[in-house]
Amino acid sequence: MQPRRRSAVIQRGGVAQRRHKPDYVLLVLTAILLVVGLVTIYSISPGLAIQRNVSENYYVNKQLIAIGLGIVTFTAMATIPYETWKKLQKPLIGAAIVATLIALALPVSEQYPAHRWIRFGGLSFQSVELVKFALIFILAGFLADRMRRGEVNDIDKSVKPIGIAFVVIAFVVAGLQSDLGSTAVIIAIMGLMWFVAGLPVKRVLLLLGAIAVVFLLAVSTSDYRRDRVMTFMNPERDCQAAGYQACQALIAVGTGGLFGKGIGHSVQAYGYLPEAANDSIFAVIAEKFGFVGVTAILCVFWAFFTRVKNIIERAPDNFSRLVVVGLLAWLSMQAIINIGAMIGLLPLKGITLPFISYGGTSLIFATAAVGLIFNISRYTTFGVHDIEETAPPRKPEGRRYALGYSSRR
Amino acid sequence: MFTAQYSEKEASFIFLRAACILIVLMRPQTKTSVFGTIQRIRFWYVLLLCLGGLFVVRLFYLQVIRHDYYQKSAAFSQLKEYQIPASRGIITAKSGDKTVPLVLNETLFTLYADPKYVKDAGDIADKIQKTIGGSKSDYENKLKKPDSPRYTILAKRLSRDQHEKIDKLELKGIGTRESQYRTYPDGQIAAQLLGFVNDDGEGKYGLEEALNDDLNGTPGQLKAITDASGVPLAANKDNVVVNPKQGTGVQMTIDIGVQQQLEDLLKQGLDNAKSKSGSALIMDVNTGAIRAMASYPTFNPAEYYKVTDGAAFNNTNVSSPLEVGSIMKPLTAAAAMNIGVVGPNTSYYDPSYYKIDDATVRNIEEDGGAAQRTTTDVLKYSLNTGATWLLMQMGGGEINRQARTQWYDYMTNHYMLGKKTGIEQGYEAEGTIPSPTDGYGLNITYANTSFGQGMTATPLQMGAAFSAMLNGGTYYKPTLIEAKTDAEGKMQKKAPEVVKKDVVSQQVSRDLVSMLETTYRHNRAAYGAGQIRPEYSVGGKTGTAQISKPDGGYDENDYNGTYVGFIGGDRPEYVIVVRVDKPKIAGYAGSKAAAPIFVKLANMMIDSYGVVPRSE
Repeated sequence: MQPRRRSAVIQRGGVAQRRHKPDYVLLVLTAILLVVGLVTIYSISPGLAIQRNVSENYYVNKQLIAIGLGIVTFTAMATIPYETWKKLQKPLIGAAIVATLIALALPVSEQYPAHRWIRFGGLSFQSVELVKFALIFILAGFLADRMRRGEVNDIDKSVKPIGIAFVVIAFVVAGLQSDLGSTAVIIAIMGLMWFVAGLPVKRVLLLLGAIAVVFLLAVSTSDYRRDRVMTFMNPERDCQAAGYQACQALIAVGTGGLFGKGIGHSVQAYGYLPEAANDSIFAVIAEKFGFVGVTAILCVFWAFFTRVKNIIERAPDNFSRLVVVGLLAWLSMQAIINIGAMIGLLPLKGITLPFISYGGTSLIFATAAVGLIFNISRYTTFGVHDIEETAPPRKPEGRRYALGYSSRR
Repeated sequence: MFTAQYSEKEASFIFLRAACILIVLMRPQTKTSVFGTIQRIRFWYVLLLCLGGLFVVRLFYLQVIRHDYYQKSAAFSQLKEYQIPASRGIITAKSGDKTVPLVLNETLFTLYADPKYVKDAGDIADKIQKTIGGSKSDYENKLKKPDSPRYTILAKRLSRDQHEKIDKLELKGIGTRESQYRTYPDGQIAAQLLGFVNDDGEGKYGLEEALNDDLNGTPGQLKAITDASGVPLAANKDNVVVNPKQGTGVQMTIDIGVQQQLEDLLKQGLDNAKSKSGSALIMDVNTGAIRAMASYPTFNPAEYYKVTDGAAFNNTNVSSPLEVGSIMKPLTAAAAMNIGVVGPNTSYYDPSYYKIDDATVRNIEEDGGAAQRTTTDVLKYSLNTGATWLLMQMGGGEINRQARTQWYDYMTNHYMLGKKTGIEQGYEAEGTIPSPTDGYGLNITYANTSFGQGMTATPLQMGAAFSAMLNGGTYYKPTLIEAKTDAEGKMQKKAPEVVKKDVVSQQVSRDLVSMLETTYRHNRAAYGAGQIRPEYSVGGKTGTAQISKPDGGYDENDYNGTYVGFIGGDRPEYVIVVRVDKPKIAGYAGSKAAAPIFVKLANMMIDSYGVVPRSE
């Protein structure tokens, strides 16, 4: 834990801010989700191991290693002053581009059917995670700058650069890597950050309309995509082939009942439900813990997002605010897409459930995000307000309080 | 209901106000507007909350309201039923005083594939071929064929060793499964008596077919939740286990020493007679137990699937009725004597032919000229006219309805011809006995039946009828089963089963023994049928049966040779029936082809199997 330095005052854009106690509740909530994931993976590990012909503890061990790495990443992100990332924009862009190019250059295989992964030894890593991370920092810096100049809605200064960046990213992620799930997450990140930065509602509606039109065009021009949509609309139409995973997920959820089958009694994880530890883990949890259990887990997620929202509202400056907005958009969108797919409300998109799903990349980046939010939570203000950064530097007015740290509340 | 509380004016006012709020929300934003940064982030937060609420509602619908539906749908794929096979009963036989196994079970392995998981069919086919042999292209075709089922059998009967080698290769989509097979420690002895068990576990032919249900037992049942590949998941409260009831073990009446010699002597005799097929059986006169029985050609039950001509599976002793020929005459004589119309020495004038209806009954043997004859002579010289005369006596001097009905009654109700004996063999045939009252040319038809033509019977039926005639008049059900295991697995002896008593009287029985002895001696002198030691009682009758052609009439060139005889001491002990199909040597088929086999079998029984000699 960080040594407490109550007296430390950091000069930031001319505004002196006192560093205070961070939001530990966020850590508790994260830990709960990690443990739920780990326990679930532990309990279905024998079933998974048989299918892949590996030792019984293979999955648990790998997940434990991932959590260990996640703690390291978390500590790093929580320690490094977030302002640093503003200065590291160019290397971040560089790293994201290099990672993407390597992923695109590597040949595809049975286990890795698209150009999404960088494999090194026994490890694999999804380049798009780094792209999302870099995107959040760069867009936060860019939008904070535009906000200061009042140019968030300026066609030449904002709309064009963001539009071009989006088209390029969408072309690579959706086009070359055919990763529609991540594209949706990126749209959510960019859209929400821009929206929070002050894009007029009219423009927002216009953009949403444009995305809807593009989506409809994409679906109507390809038989494959039309079929996917049909399968989504009615998975039980084709339970044996295209709708198999969706059907099995529904069976897992449905058989869970009110209180679940109990922790050791998942049947669907034994070869019926594909990706039981990764993308489909929510369905396995629903089978084991029932309606009561998953509702509790949804509540934990909601509490987590509430804490993040509170931090956004009290962020010390526009850059940090927008960074957390991006991270919130990312984590919440992944949770929505993943859970929505498992309960048959959204099409399956190969998106992991943050903190819970098996898999190193997803877990490490999620803990990194928490580290960053945790870091920023040290600098929150007491009041909730819009930030005027165009105003000349001024003295801090009155006392600033840590989040939930006031005796006068 | 809702609108009823408002006037139209009020309602439009409310609508107008709502529209105003929307316009305010939609107008161009400034940083200080009501829809600032904080509101915007709260908007997303509320959206998340709404989605979360929607998810909870949906989860409630799926997990609570639709729970039963998904339970059923899961059971459809997860709950599988398995049979726990009952091990099939083993079959033993006697070897002197010992009991030896004839048929045991053995565990072999079936190699199967799930082509859905097979990626490189060529490579896998190659590896399989290198491990267990066979044809690579055959494996490859099965793996590649688009309509191959998810469970495609690649090879059967792999040894445990081969099974382990295949498993070590860890080929994806390839597996092995245990299967029970029959194994035959004594080779192909008694093949047709045993039959075989096919790949579906069904007994075919012989004992295996006749006693299939007993031997099979009742399979147990396992109902279990399984993983996707069908492996039951460990102890689940929904699992149901019913233990199998093991198959009944069977001990046969045959002695494998006798059986082996009979098979060898039959083969040898058929070769000598240049015949392609035939059969022989040895039956205990006093119990109906079969000591040995075989037909030729035969097959190897361990490799039944390699047999190209299914005829080899048949035990022709029971499955193949024939017009028996002159071996019928002793039965005719015994019937007439038992009715009381003739005695063994009753004399009559034989005109050497009878005209009946539009046909003529003649004697085909050299001895058959016109002469004064006795009942014993009818057998001794095998007189067709004599048998016809016996039938006439049953009708008071002519063949009439009374003669036919009485003879029919003897054939079917005393000698049990025309119906199955019930021996434990698959595909037993009934044979045919013409009706005494319905049809045309009944008199000539019945005249023919008196010397074994115009009717059919199996060698086993003849053997059983002779046994009844010679043992004092008790018809025992012919059987191959000495004992069976009971529910506790202990062997329980089976008592001989009496089908009919007083088939003929004791006196007639004794008369027939000596008449057949006489007939045998005459034959030996006339045709050189071979020696049997004088301290034993031996008797028998040849048959040279015409073969009816499918389109009517009889074959001019081919005959079936038959012989029924007995061997014993004071009383007959064994009846031996021999059949030789279409021998190709000179002389009468019965005396030249069938009788020598009888003599060898009789001597074998005397020399090796302790027939009790005469007491004086």
